[in-house]
Amino acid sequence: MRNWGGAALCGAALLVPCIVTAAPQRPDSLSFTVVAPHSVRRGEPVPILLRLTNTGTRTLNLYLTGRTITFDIIVARSDGHVVWRRLEHVTSQQIVHVKTLAPAETFEMKDVWKATVEPGDYTLTGVIPTDGPPLRTTSITLRIPP
Amino acid sequence: MSRHSNAVRLLAGAALVAVAACSDSTSPPSKEPVPVLQAAQSPDLATLARAVPGFGGLFLDHGVPTVYLTDASQRGKVERALGAFARGRGFAPSEIKVLAGRYAYGDLDRWFQQVSQEAFAQGGIVFVDLDEASNRVLVGVERGASHANVRSLAARLGVPAEAIVTHDVDPIQYAATLQDQVRPVVAGLQIHFGNFLCSIGFNAVSGGQNSFVTASHCTNTQGGVEGTQYFQSLSSQANSFIGTEVADPVYFRGGVCPRHRVCRYSDASRAAYAAGVSFTLGGIAQTSGPNNGSLTITGTFGVTSKGTAVVGDVVNKVGRTTGWTQGAVTNTCVNTGVSGTKIVQLCQTFVSAGVGGGDSGSDVFGLTGGTSVRLLGVLWGGNSGGTQFVYSPLNQVEQELGPLTVF
Repeated sequence: MRNWGGAALCGAALLVPCIVTAAPQRPDSLSFTVVAPHSVRRGEPVPILLRLTNTGTRTLNLYLTGRTITFDIIVARSDGHVVWRRLEHVTSQQIVHVKTLAPAETFEMKDVWKATVEPGDYTLTGVIPTDGPPLRTTSITLRIPP
Repeated sequence: MSRHSNAVRLLAGAALVAVAACSDSTSPPSKEPVPVLQAAQSPDLATLARAVPGFGGLFLDHGVPTVYLTDASQRGKVERALGAFARGRGFAPSEIKVLAGRYAYGDLDRWFQQVSQEAFAQGGIVFVDLDEASNRVLVGVERGASHANVRSLAARLGVPAEAIVTHDVDPIQYAATLQDQVRPVVAGLQIHFGNFLCSIGFNAVSGGQNSFVTASHCTNTQGGVEGTQYFQSLSSQANSFIGTEVADPVYFRGGVCPRHRVCRYSDASRAAYAAGVSFTLGGIAQTSGPNNGSLTITGTFGVTSKGTAVVGDVVNKVGRTTGWTQGAVTNTCVNTGVSGTKIVQLCQTFVSAGVGGGDSGSDVFGLTGGTSVRLLGVLWGGNSGGTQFVYSPLNQVEQELGPLTVF
């Protein structure tokens, strides 16, 4: 979001009492996390949840993309090699979706990855494209035991 | 020149220090206290005018400190007053250029204040400046507006006619971006509907109806007409309503459409402009250059033809998120599945160029010389890396929306 929304909409009583944008700098009041099991057996489906929460006291308007909000999940080996990326080789509609999050409200996105990879430790990272730099979670580790 | 002089005049109100003891040791001795400038400081011209009788203005002429004097015998005072200033710019005091001035700075300043007070009430006045570089009061008049009014005003105020110079100038406006409210409406600008933002593809006339084209998915429901209302650039702004969706064919099944999917040949829709909304047929907002990330509008492209592209052609788009991007066509006539939907867009064109969320609906065009462009289609999609965009060719847009006059 490049200046148009934050100042222009804040106080305009259009959508919300006040608007703060997520991008290019994520507000301190926004929590974005990825949730998945710590360990799964090889070949099993891995449920992956991305959770976006407004932890502040003001309503946030987030400038995300897609009519249905677009999100990416990146699974990588411990050496950084990406073994799965949800949005790889797909074409997405390039529309901005203004997503409003009230204080304490959480928005969740889910997908399942089938762990058909060699045993080892893998990192999972969630990404949400915006109209500026994307939102990214801190990576978590998934273990696939031998 | 006047920009220089303005900058000098506006800078450093307290630049002069009237302490004779601090005069440069190489300056001729003087019994009078003479203002002395620190080298890095710019002079306060009003103070300078008090110190140097007949002073009429200071400016840099191709870098050379230059002064107007109505009385050339005051040169010595100029050199003392501006010695440090000159040295700070690499010149000896003796190298300060003195020009014959007709008017003293004090008179010019008084006339400047009088004209400025009254001129803006007349309309068509862009600026009033005490132009140190011309030893006159300079009035910028909007092109097409009357200069005679300024002269009449000067006469009424008792300002000598020769002391006023008028120039035709363009109006000075805030630098608008693709995300600002801009009129007349041109392609590439942000549009707002519901909780979504997209870009305008191009202006068009269809069956006598003034219109703009954007993406089909930039409507309340993709496929089918439900009267989406559009605002430019935001609904929260005054006078931002620009039009209503009037054409958006439904997606079809069967035939060439893959099983269990719905298809169209273009992701395009048409909206009719609301009465009174100004727009430029064939106009596409131009930024400072391709692939530089700028969203600031610097000009306008003009559509002069319609066309198609082949693999290898370099094409462009201007959209509200990533601005003007440019790259080569990599694939044509690609049946393209749309992520998260059952939609397949048939026979689309891929381009290796930047794209971002909010660019949907953008114009796609080829440069044909100067600011003339050939309209090629409507952007609707892109890859996750933002390095490849997908557009619907213009001939397919017209196949589905009907014939369009676009320039």
